[in-house]
Amino acid sequence: MSDAIIRTKGLTKEYGRGATLTRALKGVDLEIPRGSFCCIVGPSGHGKSTLMHLIGGLDRPTSGSVEIDGQEMFQLGGKELAALRAKKIGFVFQFFNLLQSLTAAENIEIALMLAGVPEARQKARAKELLALVGLSEKAGSKPGQLSGGQQQRVAIARALANDPPVLLMDEPTGNLDSAAEAEVMAVLEDLNRKGKTVILVTHSSEIAARAGHLVRVRDGNIDRG
Amino acid sequence: MTPAKLVFKNLTRRKGRFVFTLLGIVIGMGSFVTFMALGGSLKGQIEQESAALGANLVVTPKGSCAYEQVSILTGEQLPTTITAQEVEAIRSIPGMTAIPYLAERSAIDNRPVSVMGVLPAETLAFKGWKIASGSYFDSKDTQGAVLGSILAEQFGLAAGGEVRIRGEQIPVLGVLSETGGKDDLTVFLSLPVAQKLYQQKDNVSYVAVQVDKLDEVDLYAQKIQEKVSLGVVSDKQMLKQVLSIVGTVNVTLQLIAAVAILAAAFGIVNTMMTATYERKREIGILQAMGATRGGIFRLFLLESGVYGLLGGIGGAVLGTAASILAAPYIAQNAATSFVKGSQTSADPLMLIGAVLFSTLVAMVSGLYPAWKASNLSPVEAISYE
Repeated sequence: MSDAIIRTKGLTKEYGRGATLTRALKGVDLEIPRGSFCCIVGPSGHGKSTLMHLIGGLDRPTSGSVEIDGQEMFQLGGKELAALRAKKIGFVFQFFNLLQSLTAAENIEIALMLAGVPEARQKARAKELLALVGLSEKAGSKPGQLSGGQQQRVAIARALANDPPVLLMDEPTGNLDSAAEAEVMAVLEDLNRKGKTVILVTHSSEIAARAGHLVRVRDGNIDRG
Repeated sequence: MTPAKLVFKNLTRRKGRFVFTLLGIVIGMGSFVTFMALGGSLKGQIEQESAALGANLVVTPKGSCAYEQVSILTGEQLPTTITAQEVEAIRSIPGMTAIPYLAERSAIDNRPVSVMGVLPAETLAFKGWKIASGSYFDSKDTQGAVLGSILAEQFGLAAGGEVRIRGEQIPVLGVLSETGGKDDLTVFLSLPVAQKLYQQKDNVSYVAVQVDKLDEVDLYAQKIQEKVSLGVVSDKQMLKQVLSIVGTVNVTLQLIAAVAILAAAFGIVNTMMTATYERKREIGILQAMGATRGGIFRLFLLESGVYGLLGGIGGAVLGTAASILAAPYIAQNAATSFVKGSQTSADPLMLIGAVLFSTLVAMVSGLYPAWKASNLSPVEAISYE
């Protein structure tokens, strides 16, 4: 597979020391094809989230490397890594994705602000992104006034703010009912069709069944098959 | 969205906490500004009074200390132990002008005022007074009073009226032009009239001396001490001593205010630490979106800085108002009796300095919480629920 947008080599993560040493990942080699809809599945505590954090550059590995879009991540300093995160990856988490004191539009503007987009252009782009996830009329609503599904759609819109090639999500539908889950999945599949690489960590076998590319994590290793 | 707007939204999301933390700073800075303003005006007034005294040397009762010297500048009552013989002995020294004063207190409408017994012609020449209305004493023992301009205005007195001093009705002869000093708040009587009224025989409180040759001022001091056994102090020494007392009082007051500011600073630390814990997850989200450690640090530091800026402005307003309102109420003792009327000096430079100082203190207070916030690992922050 030559055109991989994410490539890990010997990715290892250990927590603690001596007797309490836990090896969360044990030398993972992984390639995720550009433009794929990839699901990372596996039992709780087997290293799914750790893998996701490392792929997203939120944490540093004990050893091994992660390459995104041809760029080796962990040779970068903190500042450059933060800039790379902003440019290449849009994150969506399971809970409390949004800043509660800000409106839906403002939540998106923050991501643009952090990428250095001038304020005047932020508003137009936020409007455009909310339209993309079907929430134009909710621009002025605070997270508390939105349903769970709507909140996650705002989070997806925000993840798209800087037009990153990769969307990285940790159980984005984990605490949604099935109707809301369908809402969110429809948005994600649409984005995938438009060329985004979507990487989802999930427990749901239904969602995993829709994935074009499946990665099973078991005991800190990739379970091929 | 700009960092400034984000900071403002973060500050005001817990309105109660924001207001109470801010109040701490406002009160701390307010007391600081009040004391600075009162202290500043006190110092200015003392310098002005010293100049208005117009003396190079002051002869005071034997063994008098700095407190009496303060009284000379403030118009408080003094021990009246210098005799007429001693005054005559001083006045007989050639090459200088010596003017005796009897400083007493009375009350008009239950409000304390200074009463001064003076040698009419000599004092007029010595002080360079101008008469604003009415007339001046026409002899050295004229039965009548000449009033300072502010005092006349305060009590609605004018030439032709009467003022009651020690139970006696005394005709008002005239009112002096404004001098800008405590003379404006004083009732002047001719020395014999004042001595009789206060039963001081022929004693006086102090003698102001002007020498003809300023570079020989020490020599004259020596000459006076050879003639009479009294204390002699130069105007510069006196000013220095009085200012050092006032300075000590000021520093003490400012230290008290500093404690208030310190307490308020810990209020900011507390509020910002709470915010750091409360927003742990948000910090993680910001980091995931590409915020750098420096960016998070600046956001939190800016937030605490705003407390200092707003608190400093509030404190400057509160302190200025308090110093104006408080001035008349603390005017009844020697060290503060200058701050009569509404003369406080909240000078703009001091106020700007106070606002900057407050902002600086708040930002220093915010360093630790900001450092804590910026050092959260993204994973730790996101995993926090």
